[in-house]
Amino acid sequence: MAKKATVGKTFFNGLVTENPTFTLMLGMCPTLGVTTAAWNGIYMGLATTFVLVCSNLFISLLRKIIPDKVRIPCYIIVIASFVTMVDLFMQAFMPDMRAILGSYIPLIVVNCIIFARAESFAAKNGPHLALADGLGMGLGFTISITCLAAIREIIGSGKFFGMEILPGYEPMAIMTKVPGGFITLGIMMILVNAAKKAITRRRAARKEAAA
Amino acid sequence: MQHNLAITPSPHVRSGATTRRIMQDVCIALAPAGIASVILFGGHAAVIIAVCVLTCVLTEYVYQRLMNQRVTAGDWSAVVTGLLLAYNIPANAPIWIPIVGSVFAILIVKQLFGGIGSNFMNPALTARAVLFVSWSSIMTAYPNTVFMTGGVDTVSSATPLAALGKVFTGAEGASLADVGLADLFLGNCAGVLGETCKLALILGGIYLFIRKVIDWRIPVCMIGTVAVMYLLTSGFNAELTLKELLSGGLMLGAIFMATDYATSPQTNLGRIIFGVGCGLLLFVIRAYASYPEGCSFAILFMNVCSPLIDRWTAPTPFGEVKQHG
Amino acid sequence: MFGKHLFPGGIHPAEGTNGKAVNQRNAITELPAPKRVVIPLSQHIGAPAKAIVKKGDRVLMGQMIGEAGGFVSAPVHASVSGIVADIVPVTMFNGSEITAIVIENDFRDEWAPLDAPADPESLSPAETLQRIRQAGIVGMGGATFPTAVKLTIAPDKHFEKLVINGAECEPYLTADHRLMLEQADAIIDAVSLILRIFSVPEAIIGVEENKPDAIDALRRAASGNPAIRVQALPVRYPQGGEKQLIHALTGRTVPAGKLPIETGCVVMNAGTAFAVHEALREGKPLIRRVTTVGGLVAKPNNWLVRIGTPVRELLRASGGTQKGTRTLISGGPMMGTAFTEIDIPVTKGCSGILALGREAIDPEESPCIRCGRCMRACPMNLQPVRMDHAIRARRFDEADKLGVMNCIECGACTFVCPATRMLTQSFRAGKRIVTIRRNQQKAREEAEKAALAAKAAAEQSKTDGKEA
Repeated sequence: MAKKATVGKTFFNGLVTENPTFTLMLGMCPTLGVTTAAWNGIYMGLATTFVLVCSNLFISLLRKIIPDKVRIPCYIIVIASFVTMVDLFMQAFMPDMRAILGSYIPLIVVNCIIFARAESFAAKNGPHLALADGLGMGLGFTISITCLAAIREIIGSGKFFGMEILPGYEPMAIMTKVPGGFITLGIMMILVNAAKKAITRRRAARKEAAA
Repeated sequence: MQHNLAITPSPHVRSGATTRRIMQDVCIALAPAGIASVILFGGHAAVIIAVCVLTCVLTEYVYQRLMNQRVTAGDWSAVVTGLLLAYNIPANAPIWIPIVGSVFAILIVKQLFGGIGSNFMNPALTARAVLFVSWSSIMTAYPNTVFMTGGVDTVSSATPLAALGKVFTGAEGASLADVGLADLFLGNCAGVLGETCKLALILGGIYLFIRKVIDWRIPVCMIGTVAVMYLLTSGFNAELTLKELLSGGLMLGAIFMATDYATSPQTNLGRIIFGVGCGLLLFVIRAYASYPEGCSFAILFMNVCSPLIDRWTAPTPFGEVKQHG
Repeated sequence: MFGKHLFPGGIHPAEGTNGKAVNQRNAITELPAPKRVVIPLSQHIGAPAKAIVKKGDRVLMGQMIGEAGGFVSAPVHASVSGIVADIVPVTMFNGSEITAIVIENDFRDEWAPLDAPADPESLSPAETLQRIRQAGIVGMGGATFPTAVKLTIAPDKHFEKLVINGAECEPYLTADHRLMLEQADAIIDAVSLILRIFSVPEAIIGVEENKPDAIDALRRAASGNPAIRVQALPVRYPQGGEKQLIHALTGRTVPAGKLPIETGCVVMNAGTAFAVHEALREGKPLIRRVTTVGGLVAKPNNWLVRIGTPVRELLRASGGTQKGTRTLISGGPMMGTAFTEIDIPVTKGCSGILALGREAIDPEESPCIRCGRCMRACPMNLQPVRMDHAIRARRFDEADKLGVMNCIECGACTFVCPATRMLTQSFRAGKRIVTIRRNQQKAREEAEKAALAAKAAAEQSKTDGKEA
């Protein structure tokens, strides 16, 4: 990277440029597994964001202490601690949602986004940048899967955040099943990447015109 | 003497076969089943067929115009997809069912994967599977034919397959006589609109075979495998086997769906493997799985395998022989 | 009925106006020699001949005017008597420019002294090769490989079977058919001579069964020689492909990338056999050949034409091209070359001149529908669709692995393709690129080897120095 990374840029990078769902294609398990309703997306996203921010911060702080050879087990311990906290918190205060998300909450431990950010970012950057990265990536993930979930919820069960919005609509059941997840994700990926490409092209054209 | 001569690379003659001609042949072969469906299920069948065909062609045209692609909507392949999809829908389905199915078939299964020849699953079958999983109550509400008591407006209580399934599993009170052989063959039984009249489908198959559009391998192997499996597992009950062969979507699937070029193997051996695989899967789903009919799922599964089968059965170039022996 | 060996694939191309059905009834007619003939110095595969006459020289009919330019080469001879008017580059059928000797005909048809052997049966193989070579005989089916080179058998190979190609599987062409019918005795004579001189035990003449009269004529002519067998073959293009023909007649398969002699066979075209007969019995060099003119012409015919006659003369004698002609083709419609310049001279390899209409214009390509017809049509058992994808995606290594180099460019796949894709055309380009890449790879490997050897030598000398 030629330009010096700033907190703002790092945050934006996670949110849009290297969006974990549509660009990096990380964390596909929960992306396909829980996005049958918009609320699921939000809770899953926020839980992941919390773990991501905390683990990024701590791994960044501990990056000079952790020996290189055993870094993966160390990361797992850090991540697993926060996942356990989230899991217990949800079991205590929102048991219904915890029941819906099921094993996907403990499975955050092995979520690729968290590992990838720990390994490729937090372990190499200072805590302020790691924090921004965790927040950006986490929110990017949250927004992506919530959109995905909202679309699947509308088409698959005719509801939006649990509210009936299409009276008389025959829900398309396949959208709430796994194939529907794949199809929606694929189409969203086409659209998001096409939009990104169009923006880049327009920006390049503008730069050329200015030069 | 000079007439604007052109320079073209050899060969300078062509067989005259075109994609369009092939697709038109398939449409001709599908026509008898369509006519039969209108006779059996009345005008609503015709409406569904028309809606499917129109939506398919229109979707293809609009997509190709929007994407600045060469418009190939005139090559009749979308018509084939539309017909096949329509034949897989119960005759009394609401009108939005064929519309959603057609858009899904052409837009998502065919065009997003690169258009004609590039799709890896049969568009009509995939759309049917999506409709079936999404709105199973509509897609399994098979109406009676106009010749049956109650007529088209009543939903059949039992399909031949369900009745035969009971016989196969040895359920109490089930008898082969519940299902008439002539009714099965002529299509006077409950089912999706294009699959019931086996006579029409077989006629279409013979036409395709004569026109060399399809070869015998896939249909014969698929139907043959199902026959052998039923004979073996039912203690050589020929009547049950024959009735199983003539019920459900087997004929439609084996003759028209499994033989789709883009999604079936190209080698001769590969086509045999493909046909046997379809037959085996169909038998397993029918006999042991929770769905009464498994034709579309069997074919879809083998569709996904067909590039692999092609690779396994790739021919050895003439002359690349082992030197020994 | 046909023997049990069928090659894979194959097609049955249909013909348009004035195809075989019409032209096979037209007896070979001698075309009057033109006012001037244009004789290119390269009408064969290999090095061009070198001109040995100059402008203003008087030459006699059959006189050598260009000598072979190397081992794989063939001399050319004057096809008329007259004065050398010019030595100029001319455009050939395939668009290349080749130096040609132009002879102004004096219409005396004065033969150069012919050196016919007194007793051709007792010639030695070396003498025979020399005579065939001096007569300028090349493969007359269109490949134009020098016949003497083909008959020069490497010491580790065995010449067990002479295969005469009378299949003439290309649509429209009837030149070989008529020649086999009218000159059966001469062809059988040439075959007997080659069998005797080269002590070959067996000759098989393969003729497609749509020429029953030619088969009968050949069988009658060969009835005295049990070593010669005339075999009827099913009508299927490309039955006359070298590898396909050998397989059909002997059941042997030419290994991929190898020559027919690997199976002990030498394949010779029926027209070539006739030229061999003329060279060995009468000492005449190759100055005439039979060329079919068919398609959209008023009077299709099989012409005995002097080498060097402009195509214009042939077309004029055949009544000119008709309305609707869109392409002129030298050779057959499956593998021939389209050309526009009608002053191009007829060469040794020119088996036909065809005028074809709209059907010869390439239709627009459409996407492949994966119907697999090309695979079923391929006589080499290749997978045209996969090779085409690989070549168009510039994945030449993959195309090579799929066996594109085995492609004989017969055009069967393109013929059957319903998506009207240019498959043969793509393989032709692909084969060139694969060849270039293979050569580059070889050069790289050799350079590396040389570098390694040099390094080793340098180290060796260093240690040697230390020891000293």
